[in-house]
Amino acid sequence: MVRMTSLVEMRNITKKFPGVTALSGVNFDVKPGEVHILLGENGAGKSTLMKMLSGAYEPTEGVMVANGKEFPRFTPKISQDNGISIIYQELSVINEISIQENIFVGKLAEKSVLGLKVVDNKAMRKRTQEVLDEIGLKRSPETTVGSLSISEKQMVEIAKAVAFDAKVIIMDEPTSSLTTEEINHLFEIVNRLKKQGKGIVFISHKLDEVLAIGDRVTILKDGQYVGTYPISEMDEDRLVKLMVGREIKGTYLKDPDKEYKNEVIFEVNGLTRKDEYVKEISFKLKRGEILGFSGLVGAGRTELMEAIYGAAPIKAGTITLLGKTLHIKKPYDALKEGIALVTENRRETGFSPYFSIKQNLNQAKNLKESKFGGMTGLINNAEEERVSEEQRVAMQIKCATTNQVITQLSGGNQQKVILGRWMASNPKLIIFDEPTKGIDVGTKSEIYKLMRGLADKGIGVLVVSSELPELLSTCDRIIVFNDGRSNGEFLSTEATEEELVRAATTK
Amino acid sequence: MSKTTQLVKSKKTFSDYWSSYSTVAILFLMLSVFSALKPGAFLSSGNYVKIIEQSAITILLACGEFFGIILGGIDLSVSSVMALSGVVCAKLMVAGWHPVLAVLVGIILFGAAAGAINGMLINVTNLPPFIITLGTQAIFRGLTYILSDARSVSGINIGFMKFVGGKIGGVVPMPIIIALVVAIVLIFFTTKTRAGRNIYALGGNPISAYFAGITTKRHQLLCFVISGICASLAGMVNIARLGSAEPNAGTGYETYAIAAVIIGGTSFFGGQGVIWKVVIGGLIIGTINNGLNMVGLSSYYQQIAMGVLIILAVTLDRFFGASKNK
Repeated sequence: MVRMTSLVEMRNITKKFPGVTALSGVNFDVKPGEVHILLGENGAGKSTLMKMLSGAYEPTEGVMVANGKEFPRFTPKISQDNGISIIYQELSVINEISIQENIFVGKLAEKSVLGLKVVDNKAMRKRTQEVLDEIGLKRSPETTVGSLSISEKQMVEIAKAVAFDAKVIIMDEPTSSLTTEEINHLFEIVNRLKKQGKGIVFISHKLDEVLAIGDRVTILKDGQYVGTYPISEMDEDRLVKLMVGREIKGTYLKDPDKEYKNEVIFEVNGLTRKDEYVKEISFKLKRGEILGFSGLVGAGRTELMEAIYGAAPIKAGTITLLGKTLHIKKPYDALKEGIALVTENRRETGFSPYFSIKQNLNQAKNLKESKFGGMTGLINNAEEERVSEEQRVAMQIKCATTNQVITQLSGGNQQKVILGRWMASNPKLIIFDEPTKGIDVGTKSEIYKLMRGLADKGIGVLVVSSELPELLSTCDRIIVFNDGRSNGEFLSTEATEEELVRAATTK
Repeated sequence: MSKTTQLVKSKKTFSDYWSSYSTVAILFLMLSVFSALKPGAFLSSGNYVKIIEQSAITILLACGEFFGIILGGIDLSVSSVMALSGVVCAKLMVAGWHPVLAVLVGIILFGAAAGAINGMLINVTNLPPFIITLGTQAIFRGLTYILSDARSVSGINIGFMKFVGGKIGGVVPMPIIIALVVAIVLIFFTTKTRAGRNIYALGGNPISAYFAGITTKRHQLLCFVISGICASLAGMVNIARLGSAEPNAGTGYETYAIAAVIIGGTSFFGGQGVIWKVVIGGLIIGTINNGLNMVGLSSYYQQIAMGVLIILAVTLDRFFGASKNK
């Protein structure tokens, strides 16, 4: 490869926060026409690094370089002037306005009419159309963004970066909520941008993607700089080793030598939701078993779990837990009966954002122990302290103190807090919906181990996941959903990814 | 690990202090400004008692309003509930009811019912509390005029007036005792009970609270019932002080209540705030009104001063407070 000067370079960057060193001695640069992967577990320091590029943070030590000029830090203006553009995981498009307005928001094109400056819609439409053609989004510039799919919204963000001639485009876990087809399209766009000489920084946890799209990879581990490597020298095993410093075991299936009683602990019979998103579902869960649910998003997996948990009304069917037929009308009833749901979106439906780790850990237990809709009873500080310590140790939550606000934790640790919250309430059945979404490889394996541990203790475990390797390595049986119905049941030891995909996509 | 903890704890920034004590700081600032402007009249102990007494109604209303705002909503009907319950209680006493019974039925029960109406309407319609309580504000006010025939209701029990509107030992006004007792009960409720904890969770993120198993509608109803009772208690104090129930009592007081809650550092988006600061917020409003009177400015200026303070308090909070770190 020809040596080219970097568009952006960070030399020997260290960032300290009170009591914590978030990054230490990191080198990172982006060359024109390359995809540079930034890889590391949650909490490894990727976001901190990005915030220094965007100008939000000031490095404690080190030098920032943009187009050959050295700066002690980037300000948002320096960052903008040098064409650095960030597309965050949580998209920042405005749903209520059109694509062209989203792209030009804050920088509306103007023209003069009778001496008055007015918005030049024609110019904006023209430029937007050019950019949309360039990245291959087949929508009119006047389409309201709210009517677009998530992947299209993401393309609008990319279009925005392209429209204002971004030289470095940083994508923070851009594939986390995309389907396989959408991911392929995104990769096409990334390759096109690459050919135009733009530098792409791509943050992802999915190793197959990293290997498919990247040119170089920089790996961070606990804030330490591990190194920068050409992708051509990498494979999944090497990446994982560098990221976590240990090999991840591929399988968390039940021990075949161990004796399991052939006892059904949970049974769903002929369940149909009132809105018919789920139709005539029946299954049994045996003691010691983990049951997985596969299928496309919207095929009825999450919808079934909502119905079991009382978050959606059912029309027909019975739910039996440990021999008792349940009549659940709301999540509180489910909680009282010992059913727990770890939801898919931690931030939106998972935890209480202003609560401390300790308060979150005690939430389910407090509710379960009180009566009248969870309204009776007092807070017992000593007991809360005991419970939160117990769960912090059991779940290996990494925090300075359990009085920290939960939002200060990384995604993986937040997930552990949510799991700990449920464990403190002694559940009989735990439902996991996408338990490792946005969670790094190391924490993933910890969560799989915890799940297996629960099943071994006789707690029922149901897992909904879009990641087939995850289902195949953690669940004993897998039910595949297709259009609200079950379309096949597989034993993990016998099933292949291809079979599961076929059941999910063909009837 | 313990070293990290210490480090985190010892390095308190200005921001931390600001978010903890800004309300108290504003109160002292107000007191100093007025003391400097009008030392003789303002600094007298009699005047302090007066400020506190005048603040009692605002504090009571604000304590209730807190529960609307902590949910990320609002309760605009507090001023009307205050007037309506005052008239109901006065009418009951005029009809010969024992004052204790009149207070239990006309204030406590009635206030709870008015709050429950708000809560149930919000639960059933799923409309924002702003809309529902804007409606009930008008409805309750209308009922007040109908019930009182648009005239002040006099003939209130003298013993009631002397007790509720009087001073203990001739010094400490009973209204502020009532307000503080209510505040203490609510501080206990919000910090020490499970229901109180659930309300914070509900205000912070209603969807995750629902998925965590919190009975959202029940807790929402409870919040508005508390607000109704607090507003009614303000109505009780008001008729005891005036010696009659005025149908136009408390008009516009919801603004004072909201102002006290906001100056008290409660997040308008819900989930964050504490009662004791709301009490300080109520005292600040009382101090401004009293101080400007002392300085000789009309009540019109009091409105302006309050408006400026609301904007200032929230703005300073944005720059120095907890929200800065978000």
